[in-house]
Amino acid sequence: MTTTAVGPKTRRRRAFSRGDRFTLAMFIGIPSFLHFVWVWIPALLTIGLSFTFWNGVQLSNIRWAGLANYETIFTASPQFYDALRNNIYWLLWFSFIATPLGVLLAYQIDRRIRGHKIYESVYYIPVVLSLAVIGIIWRFMLGPAGLVQVLLGRPGIEEALPIFGNYDINTYVILSIASWRHIGYIMLLYLAGLKAVDPTLREAAAIDGATEWQTFRKVVLPAMKPVNIIIIVITVIESLRAFDLIYIIYGTSTGWPILGMLVFTNIYGQAASMLGAAYAVILFLLSITPIVFYLRTVFQDDKP
Amino acid sequence: MSNQVNENGVSRRNVLKGAAIGGIGLAAGGTLLSSCGSDAADGPVTFTARTNDETGLKIAQALADAYTAETGNEVTMQGSGDTNAFQDGISQYLQGTPDDAFQWMAGFRTNFRADQGLLVDVSENIANLGDQMPEGFISGATNPSDGKQYIIPTTWYPWGLHYRKSTMLELGLDPENIATWDDFMKLLEGTKAKGLIGYAMGDKGGWEAMGTFSILNVRMNGYDYHIDLLNGRAKWTDQETIDVFNQFALLIPYMNENFLDISWDGMRDLLLQKKCGAMMMGSWWANDFLAKSQEDYDDLWIVPFPEINPAFGRDSIDAPVDGLCAAVNGTNPAGGAAFAEWCGSENGMLAAQAAGDTSLYANTRLDTSGYDAFNKQKLAVIGEAKNVMNFLDRDCRNDFAGTIVGPAIQNFLKAPQDVNKIVDGMQAAWDALPPLS
Repeated sequence: MTTTAVGPKTRRRRAFSRGDRFTLAMFIGIPSFLHFVWVWIPALLTIGLSFTFWNGVQLSNIRWAGLANYETIFTASPQFYDALRNNIYWLLWFSFIATPLGVLLAYQIDRRIRGHKIYESVYYIPVVLSLAVIGIIWRFMLGPAGLVQVLLGRPGIEEALPIFGNYDINTYVILSIASWRHIGYIMLLYLAGLKAVDPTLREAAAIDGATEWQTFRKVVLPAMKPVNIIIIVITVIESLRAFDLIYIIYGTSTGWPILGMLVFTNIYGQAASMLGAAYAVILFLLSITPIVFYLRTVFQDDKP
Repeated sequence: MSNQVNENGVSRRNVLKGAAIGGIGLAAGGTLLSSCGSDAADGPVTFTARTNDETGLKIAQALADAYTAETGNEVTMQGSGDTNAFQDGISQYLQGTPDDAFQWMAGFRTNFRADQGLLVDVSENIANLGDQMPEGFISGATNPSDGKQYIIPTTWYPWGLHYRKSTMLELGLDPENIATWDDFMKLLEGTKAKGLIGYAMGDKGGWEAMGTFSILNVRMNGYDYHIDLLNGRAKWTDQETIDVFNQFALLIPYMNENFLDISWDGMRDLLLQKKCGAMMMGSWWANDFLAKSQEDYDDLWIVPFPEINPAFGRDSIDAPVDGLCAAVNGTNPAGGAAFAEWCGSENGMLAAQAAGDTSLYANTRLDTSGYDAFNKQKLAVIGEAKNVMNFLDRDCRNDFAGTIVGPAIQNFLKAPQDVNKIVDGMQAAWDALPPLS
């Protein structure tokens, strides 16, 4: 975060020339302005709208609702807790299965195990695809008359195995599909980090008689702190902002509800109401809280 | 709260009166209006088709071409890209830079947007159509909140049990004579025994199964109760409603297991591929059978859903009315309204028919004796009913039908034993709705 740029007070401020100031103003000012206009103003408006009743058409119809939208979500929205549960599953799955797998792969590839170049390419390929495209691919593969159904010997629509609509397995199926991409993404990030770790550190550990696991845990992992932070933040954000994959697979019928989907169906569709804004605020708070908390602890540790 | 919905039986008389008064008002005070009727309606028109399938686009293009040929006004037609996305985004679309005219649905979906000032008042265009437009359609297209019309009805279709005559013949079953629930159960049992799907279902979209819920409700509790339920005057937690869900549960064993993995088009394909017996659906996709082959189309048939409670017999049916609206924010709204009017006229309907549209038309001039056998049967199925509904998601608030009823029915189909919990959730959600504005 930008706070790292603020040095101790004793350090003398460097004088900027006029040209430097101009460049700085352009490079910082313009993006900040755009960011403010396109991100923070809509975000603040959404927060404001979440306390109103409005159908999104005529401004004159806005009415103050107080906390009514939030009350409706917490007490009278049958799908809210299902969605929350699914988002939590997603977070747990990514945190304990997909991300560690990505890290493991990166570590193995970094050790240049046999065929590491092939593994690297194979796992990296899905990362080039957006989740929407991944959703389309897997919908075709797993849906009625899809390739997987044909391989299962059920080519007809009437005999197609229920998968996305089968609530015993669809959570695992969806999270596996999402992981298909996430693992490669984490692998790549971690691999970049590992390349930057000084190899002499490992040699030293090996000479001291550390096992592979000890080297990783006590030497490599601490040396990778900045990358670890990024990976944790990405894992949390990816889990909570999930939307595109579900939208492609289920459409707006929320067959497997998640919070991002509820934001969309309640604020965008024909059912536009500011319940959607309230869902968005809840999602925002859920996303920002763990990240702020985590970053704070991390940067507090940094202080001497 | 939401008496906004068309309640055909109740308000038809008042609505007609209102329309008549509105018409006089226009004629007396409206030199401006009457003068812009034909002059301002000229110029190029843009038109969005609601469907995006090949057959639908072909018909829409044929309408555009025929209108251009007749009036000299150029029409640029485009598909909606994705029907569901178009329907979802309609309010945003209409606030942006929409096309002048677009295909749309009567009922709440039109009236709500009309109340928001997004649709052109086409009362005058309907008046221009004169006796071509049947009275029932005018009342069906009338917005109860101001007595005006904002959609030109063009076509409609019944929701009923569809089946293939050849399949039933092979099975030795006779759907024509299912009068009661027991007969119906025997039919489903007979189909299932032969290894076919008894009652095809695809509810991935979340709305398809609403048709079954609605028909069960009107058969068991009557039209008035159904409309009351959809407008908050009856409760989802009523024993009447719970009974409907429990009756619905009796159909689940006859459904294809993957009903949450397929949508309406999957159901259509099941019927097209002769994999199922009965299928409860509106007949709008009959065009797709015709597009496949004349033989498939001739094999298609529809009968009314059987009687359950003799007190109500088969007196109600879902028969949604489709039509064209004109957008206030279009570049040529008057031209859009004129094009919509033309689509509702005899010439417009003939053009659609020539392009392969098998719909039932909302126009008195169109000779029903020219209808094919399936269309005559559709008319007979509608004609038998006293009460005509617009379908659940057009008779009910959009912020309840799509977001609450759809998922609730999906949850019910997944776990029918949870019915009490599900209706509690629905009622709580209804009670928490903000006032409609």
